Amino acid sequence: MAFRSNGRARAALLGGAVLAAAPFAAALPTAAAEPLRICASSVEAPYSEAKAKGFENKIAEIIAKAAGREAEFVWSDKPAIYLVRDYLDKKACDVVFGVDADDERVLATKPYFRTGYAFVTPADVQIGSDWKDAGRDEFRNFAVRFSTPAELILKAAGKYENNLSYNLSLVNFEDKRNKYTQVPADKLVNEVVNGDADMAIAFASDVARYVKNASKPLKLTLIKDDFERSDGMKIPLHFDQAIGVRKDDAELRKELDAAIDKAKPEIDAAIAEEGIPTLQPNG
Amino acid sequence: MINLRTSVSAFTLVATAALGVAATGLPAAANDKLVELSKSEANWPMTGKNYSANNYSTAKQINVDNVKTLRPAWAFSTGVLHGHEGTPLVIGDKMFVHTPFPNITFALDLNEPGKIDWMHKPKQSPTARAVACCDVVNRGLAYWPGDGKTPSLILKTQLDGHIVAVNAETGEEFWKMENSDIKVGSTLTIAPYVIKDSVLVGSSGAELGVRGYVTAYDVKTGAQKWRAYATGPDEEVKLAKDFNSKNPHYGQFGLGTNKTWEGDAWKIGGGTNWGWYAYDPDTNLFYYGSGNPAPWNETMRPGDNKWTMTIFGRDIDTGEAKFGYQKTPHDEWDYAGVNVMMLSEQKDKTGKLRKLLTHPDRNGIVYTLDREDGTLISADKLDDTVNWVKQVDLKTGIPVRDPEFATRMDHKATEICPSAMGYHNQGHDSYDPEKQLFYMGINHICMDWEPFMLPYRAGQFFVGATLWMYPGPKGDRQGYEGLGQIKAYNAITGKYAWEKMERFAVWGGTLATAGDLVFYGTLDGFIKARNSKTGDLLWKYRLPSGVIGHPMTYTHDGNQYVAIYYGVGGWAGVGLVFDLTDPTAGLGAVGAFKNLQHYTQMGGGVQVFSLNGKNPYDDVNVGEWTGPKAN
Repeated sequence: MAFRSNGRARAALLGGAVLAAAPFAAALPTAAAEPLRICASSVEAPYSEAKAKGFENKIAEIIAKAAGREAEFVWSDKPAIYLVRDYLDKKACDVVFGVDADDERVLATKPYFRTGYAFVTPADVQIGSDWKDAGRDEFRNFAVRFSTPAELILKAAGKYENNLSYNLSLVNFEDKRNKYTQVPADKLVNEVVNGDADMAIAFASDVARYVKNASKPLKLTLIKDDFERSDGMKIPLHFDQAIGVRKDDAELRKELDAAIDKAKPEIDAAIAEEGIPTLQPNG
Repeated sequence: MINLRTSVSAFTLVATAALGVAATGLPAAANDKLVELSKSEANWPMTGKNYSANNYSTAKQINVDNVKTLRPAWAFSTGVLHGHEGTPLVIGDKMFVHTPFPNITFALDLNEPGKIDWMHKPKQSPTARAVACCDVVNRGLAYWPGDGKTPSLILKTQLDGHIVAVNAETGEEFWKMENSDIKVGSTLTIAPYVIKDSVLVGSSGAELGVRGYVTAYDVKTGAQKWRAYATGPDEEVKLAKDFNSKNPHYGQFGLGTNKTWEGDAWKIGGGTNWGWYAYDPDTNLFYYGSGNPAPWNETMRPGDNKWTMTIFGRDIDTGEAKFGYQKTPHDEWDYAGVNVMMLSEQKDKTGKLRKLLTHPDRNGIVYTLDREDGTLISADKLDDTVNWVKQVDLKTGIPVRDPEFATRMDHKATEICPSAMGYHNQGHDSYDPEKQLFYMGINHICMDWEPFMLPYRAGQFFVGATLWMYPGPKGDRQGYEGLGQIKAYNAITGKYAWEKMERFAVWGGTLATAGDLVFYGTLDGFIKARNSKTGDLLWKYRLPSGVIGHPMTYTHDGNQYVAIYYGVGGWAGVGLVFDLTDPTAGLGAVGAFKNLQHYTQMGGGVQVFSLNGKNPYDDVNVGEWTGPKAN
């Protein structure tokens, strides 16, 4: 698809939509509606964190309200990567926010936004939107999350091996065997702020809030979606984000699809508030 | 070379003559004081007793007939908990004791046993603790006898990656070098190894992107002499011009980079070495094994991954490899190949006397090679329950795998034997040259390997595996006992003279003596002595904590002593040490050893035994305070 770089312009336009959406606040849940049980990790900032301060926690509240339900968070103190297997599939809760629209483990709703991988650099660094721009000689240290397309970009750009030690230092060389170890999203940005990393490469919504609030001017540059591995396999860099329900829960999906439509202005406002540059959803 | 005097073979007689008069132009051996020191029953100057690393003593004051009267003589607490691997050194009147992190060294006076002559306690970055994968162990010390100008030295490694030379008389630091950079995840747990005037040190931290290497330092100054990597271009792996010329099918040149690795993956390919060394003054080669390739997830590193998992014979002076035999090409199980190398001189099946190297590998195979050229002579299963491999083809050297027990991403494998811990881990075993038997402490542990992939968002995925470890088929899977074995192995016939089950692993290794005895410690805290001919259990003693080190023996003032470290820990004890309860934690070790806590708890020290507990304090005046010293 065509790359769209008008995220900021869209965000500016959507700013006005919040007011237009205000009447939704008056919609009261019907007495009969059951609470919407949301699977949520308390350790997945910026998406989800205790006291429902995360970006996706806010979206969940908006959707629940639009569906006329009360948002009931079912908290896990493990990373969100385990939510489908350990919570949703075991019916401890009914929805997981922020799944890829093509996630095969779940039945996904229509997307509620789309964004992509981005370079995070100091604001004065000139950089294009091609993945190959990461390969420039002056970029030596990269902060990326493990097992992401960002790692594959480093590999393809010839930067992975020399960067490995630095990247492992971001998790104190903690053993990755047999357990999930990941670089905290805010750390990716802090490394660029303090100059230890020349850039971070991350999914835009992983880092948007920290870029926005950084103590030094940074910028997010979305990367064009034309990345292939050396064997020719296309590695997508842009993703539709949706809500996942259990595969046999078509009714709930239908209800959530309607709520997404209904609450779109509020959702867009929350995304803008978070500072995420967005792309047009894929259908 | 302690076994030279007792061996009856014609070959060794020739070798003895060479030692004495350098008749065959081998002055290196004659110059080496360590060879002389190791011949004496009074000394235990290196981790494996002698350059043959056979943990064998000719002492027989303690023997099959009287071992039941073995009693505690004295003991020393190191004041450090966590796993105590390796064994103390004894040279003359001093015993040198080491500890896990913070890596304290004590020099004890054997005339007043337990009196501390000096103590060396380094300051280290606490980061080191966080980086170490499997408890904070250290495998021991090395000794250099001095040359009149430079004092005798104790060489030690620190977890934070330093090698330190300490004056053996005073405990003062003589030199200190950074061998491994803790900032890039590289630690040191290996015992340094002195050969002539060089000291060898390996490296740890394969999983953290470390490219493994072995380095030789000038023992007098700490200056680096050479460094040889396990992966990479031939000149960095240091291959001799005639590398593997006798066995070209092992592979020769240009294989350490993208011919057996994808792209630049060799740069972070692991192959560290943190086990043991052996040396033959005649071939001037030292022997050791490189460890597992990295990263652990094998799909990330297609290819044979040379020269990880390799038995190397390298020239001590140049570092150049004369041969390299890769045991487990493209490892999928974490069968790190760093285990002990024991040297022997035996007649092969055709009656030809040969210089041999025997190596019980983590992968469940015990290999015997001709140590002059690396030719594979035998490769036998450590136990008939080994199943990842059907057999090793002796002609090609290649293991014939059973795909059912592979650890592919699309395949759940159950009952893989051995587990990732190996049927043999870091234990330092022994060889009795008179009986021509190797005494091996074995883990009897298998595993289920369940891969899983968890997608997250935006194309992110987490590939992992859950490891469940439990007793092998001969153990008790309900009670989680029967996790170890002790065996006597003949490398020529491939037969086991005897074998016995143990409740827990025999993690630390064995000691053999001319008294027809084999000693070893168990994870649950016993030191035991068996008849080395029959395997009959003759004596045991309950130690304050479990054992993961190997016993040693020395004779002082006419009395033979047996000493052993207690202090449970290491990978096997990681559950106890860090109070872990998830059975898949510690890479599955916590589950396998879940009942260990009912048998032992943490501790740390040396326990010394003698017949009837005879010791210097039998004279009650020894060590008494007799008033201020006269000026």
